Amino acid sequence: MSDPMAGEAGSRAVTAESRPREASSIELEGVHKRFGRDTVALDGVDLTIQAGEFFTLLGPSGCGKTTLLRILAGLEEPNAGRLKIGGRDVTDTPPHRRSVNTVFQSYALFPHLSVRDNLAFGLRMRGERAAERDRKVAEVAEFIQLGSLVERHVDQLSGGQRQRIALARALICEPDVLLLDEPLSALDAGLRGQLQVELQRLQKRLGMTFVFVTHDQDEAMVMSDRIAVLDSGIIQQVGTPGEVYEHPANAFVARFMGHDNLFAISRSEADWVETELGRLQLDPAEQRDAQDGWLLIRPETLELGPEVPEGYNRLEGFVRERLYRGSRIEYRLEVNGQPLMAVASNLGQRMHGVGDSVTISVCPEDLVRVAS
Amino acid sequence: MANTPLVTRRHAVVSETRHLLFSVMPGAVWIFVFLVLPSLYLMAVAFMSNGPYGLPELPLSLDAFKQLAGFGFLGWSPGNFYTLLRSLWQTLVSTALVIVVAYPIAYYITTCRAKLRPLMLLAVVVPSWTNQVIRAFGWMNLLAPGTPLSDAAQALGLIGQHMGLYPSNFAVTLGLVYNFLPFMVLPLYAAFEKLDTAQVQAAQDLYASPMRAFWHAVFPQTLPGLLAGTVLVAIPAFGMYVIPELLGGGKGMMLGNLVANQFAGGSNWPLGAAGALLMLLATFVGLFAMRRIGKRLGGGEEVVI
Amino acid sequence: MRKRTLNRGLAGFWWLTLAFLYLPLAIVVLFSFNSTNSAANFTSFSLRWYHRLLGNEQIISAFYNSLILAIVSSLVALVIGCLIGYGMYRHRHRRLGWLIVLIYLPIVLPDIVFGISEMAFFVQFNRLTGLLEPGLGTMIIAHVTFQIPFVALIVYSRFVGLDPSLFEAAKDLYASPFQRALHFLLPTLKPALISAFFLSFTLSIDDFVISFFTAGPESATLPIYIWGAIKKGVSPEINAIATLMIGAVALAAILSLLFNRQGRR
Repeated sequence: MSDPMAGEAGSRAVTAESRPREASSIELEGVHKRFGRDTVALDGVDLTIQAGEFFTLLGPSGCGKTTLLRILAGLEEPNAGRLKIGGRDVTDTPPHRRSVNTVFQSYALFPHLSVRDNLAFGLRMRGERAAERDRKVAEVAEFIQLGSLVERHVDQLSGGQRQRIALARALICEPDVLLLDEPLSALDAGLRGQLQVELQRLQKRLGMTFVFVTHDQDEAMVMSDRIAVLDSGIIQQVGTPGEVYEHPANAFVARFMGHDNLFAISRSEADWVETELGRLQLDPAEQRDAQDGWLLIRPETLELGPEVPEGYNRLEGFVRERLYRGSRIEYRLEVNGQPLMAVASNLGQRMHGVGDSVTISVCPEDLVRVAS
Repeated sequence: MANTPLVTRRHAVVSETRHLLFSVMPGAVWIFVFLVLPSLYLMAVAFMSNGPYGLPELPLSLDAFKQLAGFGFLGWSPGNFYTLLRSLWQTLVSTALVIVVAYPIAYYITTCRAKLRPLMLLAVVVPSWTNQVIRAFGWMNLLAPGTPLSDAAQALGLIGQHMGLYPSNFAVTLGLVYNFLPFMVLPLYAAFEKLDTAQVQAAQDLYASPMRAFWHAVFPQTLPGLLAGTVLVAIPAFGMYVIPELLGGGKGMMLGNLVANQFAGGSNWPLGAAGALLMLLATFVGLFAMRRIGKRLGGGEEVVI
Repeated sequence: MRKRTLNRGLAGFWWLTLAFLYLPLAIVVLFSFNSTNSAANFTSFSLRWYHRLLGNEQIISAFYNSLILAIVSSLVALVIGCLIGYGMYRHRHRRLGWLIVLIYLPIVLPDIVFGISEMAFFVQFNRLTGLLEPGLGTMIIAHVTFQIPFVALIVYSRFVGLDPSLFEAAKDLYASPFQRALHFLLPTLKPALISAFFLSFTLSIDDFVISFFTAGPESATLPIYIWGAIKKGVSPEINAIATLMIGAVALAAILSLLFNRQGRR
């Protein structure tokens, strides 16, 4: 089963299947959602998703990302705010009248139907003729390389197969927007990585707007054109994977993207800051209005070695722990009594041992100020 | 922009409530009209006076309850009072006997192979799927004069010549035990199935005698099941009508027969209603007690039917 | 050693209990094939009592009454109970305590109280309005009342066993409310509905007390007929009808079990 969605058959099926149609944009304005009296799921979300974009809603569980997706699908009604899809206001449109389809986390394949009838369900509900349905089912079944399974019952399928059927069942309807609610979370790591790549390629080929929900920041970065990071029902940051990773808008985003090296800033000037590590030079161009806040040091920007290049910051410390990761080596350092993480690519250089004193250099341009 | 969504929201609540009404209301109204109202009416009848044709009339009175306790216009007569006592006695004896039979049976089923167990339970339950009247009729056939069982009882001198084992209070007890045995086996089986064997083994180490191990480790764990079974047996047994009517004869009457007779032949609705009220009271006291004790025992969930 | 003795004893007790449970039924079945009308001695095999049944108009009419009562009441209870079960599921996060009490009421109420309440109510209602004369109509109403809870609970437990996303997937895939009922809810519920129908049917055929008190002069069912015949004096004909009923109920109950198992798969 090597990358079926990228195969020859795949591209033919897709070109035949998707009539040239405009992808749809999504606009959310001031969307609020409350559950019960005082559980706030979404607290005023303004968001624009471009047509044809692979857009990811990222955040910890309970952050509101799934609620937002369900509002797009029409499965949840916002308490306030408007939603437009393809320029049309659909806030009050019930889910069965929205040209939006969802791949559910549990796949939600109908247990009383065969694979074929599951695939054809949406077309049948929309009143498409039987001949047309059969043609599309055959096409999409070949496309996902599960043609031999169409007569099977749903409970005879493996997890990966179900995932593909769920995806195909949504795609066959050619929706304006495809919503994916953690569709890979139930799969094992190997299959998951493979499907991440396949999904991303598929989206690019179809040119369809994808909205993807996940709590896994690696998955989000691999797949997305842009990411919105949510916490407590509020969008913390929207940006490309690079922007969100390298210039997180605040400490929450930084931590969620996996950054450990955050240091409270005690004094901040135009081109330097004072932290527990000591005084560090910053690129004056990196102007942030955040006066107090955090300094972010990405571990891969630290260089360990006796020489400190011209204009670089210099830190002295020692190695507390060394983790050998194969392609890279992680050093847990201690500087001024503060833990600091550094990552070096494994190029065969001499490794520093635990307890060794090291000189650490970091370029001022790699230091980022982060709001609280 | 701020106004419209509020309207939508209210609309959503209204449509949800309407949905709830449409789905649940037909049945709720049905049960209310055809069961709750009649029961309330029956309760009201218990506090009315008896009219000339046995139908209830005003004014309100407590005569029915006095009659139930045995006070008629000829002074106190023991008939109704004995019927009440007999109902209680039959309920107690048959429940106790059902426990004695069901306890080892439920335990034995759990010791058998897992594949056999559902079949064994089915074997216990299947007879109760047959009509009550037919089952009582089967016992009439078995216990009638001239049958081997009656002959044996005569030979042992338990009953007089040319008598049968039925009609008698003994036949009623037998019929009750027969009728309610499955109601006790099922909850007890559930309790045995969940038995924590580690506890039992620990107890076997601690207490040398198996008797004491049973008493300290096994029995307490089966209490919730025993309790559920007791309620399932005792409540309907107390109100039983068919079995005493067919197997008991005139001297085997229970509360259910007293109540029924007032509505059929005897025609004293208030008296019958008072008896029904007593039964209802016993039912709710039983259910309430079970919930309370069940909660204290911690295994309250499976106790509720 | 002692353990083995205990197990032997238990096994013996088990077979004894089984004999106790099946003996009365076996006697009924056996003597339905007796050639004489003795209840004590089995003389020889014969089908004469079954032949007698066919000629007895009262029995034939009681049979039809039982059948009509069971089928009509089960169908009505199926519709009403199914709606309640669905409503209970859809609104399971709301406070529905009153509904639960209402649904359990027919189950916990002693038969005799149930029966005479209905009877008293119907008699008085009939006196006041002239409607609902005791007969098949009132019996159907009473039977539906005790069948509703069982249907509702079966349907509800079927829904609880489903992935909640399925309901949303149907909406998401363009099914209108009507289409969802037709193409999703009904097919999904089918096994539960069949099983609920058979259970209702069995409960109805099995019932004596409630039927007895709500019946009219023309609407005797088989159990009521048997009751009357027993009170008049034991006749071997009763053995024959009873045998047929034992067979029918066992069959219906087994079918219900089978469908229920299939539904859970």
